[in-house]
This record gives sequence, C-alpha cells and structure tokens, in this order.
Amino acid sequence: MKAVGARLPRYDGVAHVTGQTQYVDDIRVRGTLWTKALRSPHANAAIKRLDTSKAEALSGVYAIVTHKDVPHNVYGHLEALGIPADEPLLAVDEVRYKGQPIAAVAAVDEDTAREAVDLIEIEYEERAAFFDIRKAMDPDWPNIHQWGPVYPHFGSYNHRRVRKGDIDAAFERADTIVEGVYRPQAIEHCPIEPQTALVVPEANGRLTIYSCTQAMYFSMGVVAAHLQWPLNKLKFVGGTVGGGFGGKVDTASETISALLALKAKRPVKWRWTREEEFLVSSTRAPWHMELADAVTSDGWILGRRMTTLHDAGAYARFSPYGVTKHAFHHTGAYTIPNVHFDGFVVFSNRVPTTAMRGFGVTSVSFAVETHMNRIAEVLGIDPLQLRLKNANRIGDTTPNRVVLKDPSTVPVVLAAADRVGYDLPAEYKSMTNARRSGDLLPEHLVAQLGEPEHSSNGGGR
Amino acid sequence: MRLTVNGEQHDLHSPPLTSLLTALREELDITSPKAGCHQGGCGACTVLVDGEARRSCLLPLAAVDGAAITTLEGLGAADDLSNVQAAFDEHYAAQCGFCTSGFIMAATALIDRTPKASREEILAGLSGHVCRCTGYIKIVSAVEAAVGSPA
Amino acid sequence: MPATSLAEAQVIAPTSREEAVGAFGDGSGVTVLGGGTILMPEMNYGRLRPERVLLLQNAGLSGIARNGGSLTIGAMTTVAELEQAPEPLGTAARNVADHEIRAQATLGGNLCAPSGGATPRGDLQAALIALGAQVKTAGKGGERTEPIEDFVAAPDGRLLLEVEFEEPQRSGYAAAHRPHAHAYTILAVCAAETTAGLRVGLSGAGRNGLRARSVEDALAVGASAEEASQKVLDDAQMQDDALASAWYRQRLLPILVQRALDDLGGGK
Ligand SMILES: Cc1cc2nc3c(=O)[nH]c(=O)nc-3n(C[C@H](O)[C@H](O)[C@H](O)COP(=O)(O)OP(=O)(O)OC[C@H]3O[C@@H](n4cnc5c(N)ncnc54)[C@H](O)[C@@H]3O)c2cc1C
Ligand code: FES
Ligand code: FES
Repeated sequence: MKAVGARLPRYDGVAHVTGQTQYVDDIRVRGTLWTKALRSPHANAAIKRLDTSKAEALSGVYAIVTHKDVPHNVYGHLEALGIPADEPLLAVDEVRYKGQPIAAVAAVDEDTAREAVDLIEIEYEERAAFFDIRKAMDPDWPNIHQWGPVYPHFGSYNHRRVRKGDIDAAFERADTIVEGVYRPQAIEHCPIEPQTALVVPEANGRLTIYSCTQAMYFSMGVVAAHLQWPLNKLKFVGGTVGGGFGGKVDTASETISALLALKAKRPVKWRWTREEEFLVSSTRAPWHMELADAVTSDGWILGRRMTTLHDAGAYARFSPYGVTKHAFHHTGAYTIPNVHFDGFVVFSNRVPTTAMRGFGVTSVSFAVETHMNRIAEVLGIDPLQLRLKNANRIGDTTPNRVVLKDPSTVPVVLAAADRVGYDLPAEYKSMTNARRSGDLLPEHLVAQLGEPEHSSNGGGR
Repeated sequence: MRLTVNGEQHDLHSPPLTSLLTALREELDITSPKAGCHQGGCGACTVLVDGEARRSCLLPLAAVDGAAITTLEGLGAADDLSNVQAAFDEHYAAQCGFCTSGFIMAATALIDRTPKASREEILAGLSGHVCRCTGYIKIVSAVEAAVGSPA
Repeated sequence: MPATSLAEAQVIAPTSREEAVGAFGDGSGVTVLGGGTILMPEMNYGRLRPERVLLLQNAGLSGIARNGGSLTIGAMTTVAELEQAPEPLGTAARNVADHEIRAQATLGGNLCAPSGGATPRGDLQAALIALGAQVKTAGKGGERTEPIEDFVAAPDGRLLLEVEFEEPQRSGYAAAHRPHAHAYTILAVCAAETTAGLRVGLSGAGRNGLRARSVEDALAVGASAEEASQKVLDDAQMQDDALASAWYRQRLLPILVQRALDDLGGGK
C-alpha cells in the first residue's frame, strides 16, 4: 500500500496545466457543422403545427431533424433495468417542460443554425403548467405524464415501499412523536464544460462519437437504441469530462448530433450554451420529505414513518432508481427497528431531474441529520449522544435487509467529536460498533436481530 | 486585425466583433482558453493581454488589435513548467482541468502585479473564477506555493 | 431584416472626442461599445447584431481630472480606476464584479447599461447620485449637462462623455451583497454631503439608480436618521429579481439607509 498517504502525481496533471488536455470542444475535424435546437418556450403545451421548410431552404443549412427522423424516438434511460420508456428524444405533439427539444439544425456556423431555428414555423397551444408536487395527489392535478401523476412501476405499487417491524406498536410505545418536513431545492450541476458532442460519419458506415459523457457505455446504449443500430457501428471516444457531478449521465447531446451527422453526411458538433446548461440541462431534484419518529424520552428511536415526494420533472429518466436508493437510506446511519416508508416519483412540468453526487441519498441524509438535531432538541438530549445511541452496529439490518458487517457510524461520530474538542461522557467515548448487548440491546430492538420482518417488495430492487 | 499570440504574429480574418476567445479557438486553433460561458461569468477563457489578465470572451477583436496575447500554451511546456503551472500540478489544483487554464493565467498576472500576494489578496484576485471540482482550497494553496517559490 | 452576422457590422473607432461625437450624431443606428462587458455576451449569444458600432476605446474619453475641489471623470474610465475615487464611489467600484471585469468595465457602460431583465444594473449609480454628479452627454440637439439621476432614468440616444462632481465633506455607504464576486449588489445606499447639501442615492431599489429625496427632505427639516430612513420607501420602486424579492428589499432598505446615514457620522 505504497500509494496510501503518498503524494502521487496525477496522470493527467501536466496535460491540464499545459493546456494539452483535449475536451470535446477542442477536437477539430475539417468541415464540422454547428448545431442549434428549437426548444419549447412553454412549460406545457400542445404542438399544433411544425413546418421546417423555410428553415431547410436557408443557405448554409445542411440538415434539420424532427421526431420523424428518429428511428426509435421514445426511450427510457433505464430500460436496461426494466424501467419502461417514456421520453421522446424530439417532441412529437406536445411539450412538457420549458426548453424541451423539438427540432435541431446543423449548419455551416452557429449564426446560420440560429437563424434557421428562428425560421422553423411552429404553433403551440399553451396549457397550464404544474410545479407544486405536494398537490400531485389532488383530484384536479392534471395528467402531465401518460402514466398519471406518479411513476407507477415499483413492482405492483405506484411508490417505493419499505416496511419493517411493527410500526403501529412502535408509535403506541413512544413517549413522544417528533415530526419534521424537509424540502431541499433543485441544484444545477453547473460543470464548467457545457454539454458537448462531436459526431463524425466514417467512410465505413460507422459513427465516431466524441462525447463529454460521464457514462460512456450507457450513452452508447442510448444512441444505439434510438438509431436501432448494433453497438459495433458506434465508436465512442470519451473519458475527458470537464466536470459532470451526475449531470452528464443523461445522454443529452450525442443522439441528436448523430442524427444530424447522418442526415448531413458531415461531422456535426453541438455545444450547449451556458444558458442552455442552466435552463435545460437536468438538475438535482427538489424533494419533499415528511418524517415522524416515535421516540422514547431517553432517546431511542423506536419507529419512523416517512413519506417522500421526488420531483422527477416531465419524464422518469433515473428518478425511480434515485427514489429506491433514497428509500434504502431513509434511516441514515442509524438503526430504527420499525419503519414505514413510502416514496413517490411525481411528474411535473419542470425540466427532468437526474443524478447528482449521492443520487437520492444526499436529500435523505439532509433530512435525517436535521431531524436528529430536532429530536435532540425536543428531548433535551445531547445531539451526539442521541446519534451514538441509535448508531448502526454490527449485525443490525438496514431498511433494505442488508446485515451490517462493519458499520462506521460510531467511530466516525467519535472521531468528529474528538477533532472539534466535543466532550462526551466516558460511556459514550468508549463505545464501539460491536454487536448489541446489555444496554445496547433494549427490549424493543430485539425484534430486528433475527431474520428481519418485512412485507413484500420491502427490499432490494 | 493583427495579434501577437505567444510570441508569434498572426493576421486574423474573423470579423472585428468576434470575441478574442472565438478567434483564438476557431481561427488560430489555440484551445487552452475554454468557453465555459461566453458571458464573462466563469473565468475559464482568461488570457493575458499585454501582460494583464482579461476575459477573452468579453473582448472584441477590434479592441485588441496589435496586442500581445499570452495563453497557457505560451507559459511553459511539459518539461519546463512555470512556477504557477508546477504548483497547480503538485497541489492537485486541477481536477477536471476545465477551469485550470483561466486560473493559471489569472494567478500568473496576480503574482506579476503582487509578487508577495497574501492569502487574502489571492482570494480577492481570483474571486471571479469558478471551479466546480476542487472546492478552491487546493487552487489557493497552489497559488500560495507559487508566491513563495523563487521565480 | 436586421443583420444576422457579426461580419456585417461596421466598426468605427474614433481617435478623439470630437470624432466620437461626430460619428455618434443623433445616435440612430449606432451601438456604443465601452468596455463591452455587457454588450459582448449579447453578441456572443447572437441576440445583438449591430449595424454600426462605435468603439470608444481610443476616443480620449478616459481618465480622472481634478481641479480644485471637483473631479471630472471620462466615460471610458474603467471601474478599476475608480476604486481609488472619493467615497462612496470608491467602495461602490470595489464592489463591482471581480478584478478582471473591473479592469475592462467602464463608467459609461455602468451608467448607460439598459436595465437588465434579471437584475438592476449599474452599481456605481447610487454613489454618483449621492455625490450630486452632473453628466455631460452628446446627441440630438448637441451637448447637454444634467443631473445624473435624470440621465440614468432615460439614457437612450445619448453618448456619455464625462461626469463631474464635487469632492464630498462626508460620505456613508451600506449595502447587501450575495457572497459571490459576480453578483450585483442586492441593495446599496450611498450618502454624501457636499456644499450643495446631503444627498442619498440608491442602487437595487428600482430599474436604475434612484435619488432618495424623501429621506433628504426629512433630514432637512430635522428628522432623526431613524425617522428619515423610514421615508425611503416613498422613493423606491422595488422589484423581484434573481437576487432578491421586492418583499425582502422592502424590509432591508430602511435599515441600510439608516446604516449609511450612521456611517456619515464618521467624517471623511
Ligand atoms: C461577470 C460580470 C459581473 C458583473 N458584475 C457587476 C456588478 O457587480 N455591478 C455592476 O454594476 N455591474 C456588473 N457587471 C456589468 C458590467 O460589467 C458593468 O456594469 C460595466 O460597468 C459596464 O461597462 P462596459 O463598459 O463594459 O459596458 P458595455 O458593454 O460597453 O456597454 C453597456 C451599455 O452601455 C452603453 N454604453 C457604454 N458606454 C457608453 C457611453 N459612453 N455612452 C453611451 N452609451 C454607452 C452600451 O451601448 C451598452 O448599451 C458585471 C458584468 C459581468 C460580465
Ligand atoms: S467563457 Fe469567458 S468568462 Fe466564461
Ligand atoms: S477543476 Fe474542474 S472546474 Fe475546476
């Protein structure tokens, strides 16, 4: 283990500091055309008419694509995981979020492409847009999505469920119920490199695709699915990403560029503007989390009821996966013997949301840790002692039935306390993550030590 | 329109209102200045214009006619890194690297005008540059190290 | 049809003030380019395709001249050069953007900037209003001098040449900022006392810089700073924008006015 603790040079360090690293936008291919997209100015509208003929007639325009040019238009980012397809690559007869792409132009330069976009004739019939996901269960919430207000395919449920222990008994035994609502907002990843793709048609019929994606093989699969091509006709070049943070997991620019390159029979580059990056690229989701914990006055958390609403935006993308991860982490770094969790993926007219650093987990960690402080405050207990008391220990089971072998809550909390000079009583300082016994094994925690109880669909995906 | 870029003279044909950034990248193929925003907000396009750090995306070619431009390519090659370049490498101040060129050019100009720049002066001097990867600490440490090292 | 390509623009680069005034004429069809920090993004994004551009860089409009107690500052003076200007202008200048933008951004652009869609612009305006600056411009009907608060309310069609003001006896400044260097000031209140009396200027309280006459009038009839600061809402035209809500500004503004007035107490 020579590398641990040593200062090793970065393999790409010298290239970065001399400007030799080649990002997609730095690659030059002779004859490359530039791309601009026609995007919806409305958050919710029907498309009544679309006519690209004037734009096509503009000199300098090489290709225009609409949904008619996409061999397989409607796709799902997670089809491989069994999550069905729901999102058109290019809008057909309606748009569900502001900025949704409807058509794209490849032209000799960006000015010409922009002018062509302006020449595309389109008529919309605007509809009311919906953004407050708390109202999704109201009877007058419209069906923005073909699947209804929420994603319906969590097994036989329309939400991700976790059930463990006897939640009613936990709430009956509680001395106090501590409730909290937590609502972290959307966050734009804002990589300094905007979304960029360069697609080069090769003489042998293949496409070379230079991509800023964070997920090469995934993007390759998505492009192949849209084109209905075998993977071996696509050569993906990637790996140099100017920041992604989850935002470059969605395949945002490659497929449309590929379609344009095929139609124009020329290399095509599509480089989003910073404004597109902010307005149209997917963001971390806004979440709405409601927690109610059954606690004893000496600080044991007996049970947790939790309902989560995840704002997926207009299409599913990775949201069902994010909510599943979220569900698995809804007790945080702590063991709660009785839980009842429902997580909904709600559709709205915002831009579709996606992964970002700790997909689904950061939101719940924020809620759980804030809630821990709230419990400590309500009970008048030291917040670190509350955490140590309820910390995961060897042999405990997580909400998704993983039996913990080496949980780190106790050592981490103790180390943090030590670093900031936070004094704890001796019995807490000497705690370890060892199996529960004695005082660490209150009667109400016994239930979880054997084979965990759960209802159907309570666990792994 | 004439520019001296990294010591070499060029006659440019891009329209006079083209940004210096676009002219460098698209006409001269000098790609170290990055187009992070094209609107002055990120700092990735920063180059030296007659020795001073400037946002190349905000300068029309017409405003820099005759100027001497230095980009990252003109600082130091891989086997001959400048102090600032070496410090960025050693201190892991570049992660994805997309902001790096702008930071190094700005830091170079900063040290040039304030050879003994304090940490506070470094923070103020680089405050307009955005990095989404490093959290800035490593960048500031690198510049501090470059300030401390003999030229 | 307006020009769609930058290549079609005619760029005029006058080398003297007279040439600049002549080339500007009555301003029709002319886009004045100061430092370009506001105009260039518009051109880069293809939203602005000017027919004729007046590049003022070498028109001899930059520099700070002192004569006696008064200062004349040319339109092309950079915000960086204003960092050392008399207070509260110096502080307002230091709070604009970051080092590199300030070195390119000009006074003229700051005063002539069209009100931004997303935020009020022109952070130097409050300071110059407090200083009672007079603005000299050219355009239809020739040259004209007017108080800055009148000019910033309707800057269109004029070529800004210079501003002139008297060095103040006392000044005060209070502002609320977002923590990032590039964020415009949410609200700034500047106060300055010259031989002409005490003036109060506001940035962020309307589409452009405003003069807080109600506060000045209240002070003139002996109101306390606390009483006078409450009057400021009579002059403000608060808006919601990307930086803050009108609701928030409404609550903050009187407090900042009071702080700026308290800051005056400190003397020069
Ligand atoms: C990243 C960033 C951060 C910024 N932060 C701030 C901030 O914190 N505070 C702030 O106030 N501003 C800020 N700005 C805006 C801008 O930099 C300043 O307002 C600057 O002073 C504008 O001057 P300029 O010379 O660059 O304007 P230009 O872009 O040259 O011109 C702006 C407008 O004024 C007109 N104009 C310019 N000069 C004249 C003249 N002499 N006569 C008539 N019309 C003229 C132009 O035609 C144009 O309409 C920021 C800009 C950027 C890019
Ligand atoms: S590209 Fe010039 S500042 Fe971002
Ligand atoms: S290193 Fe990635 S943005 Fe700075």
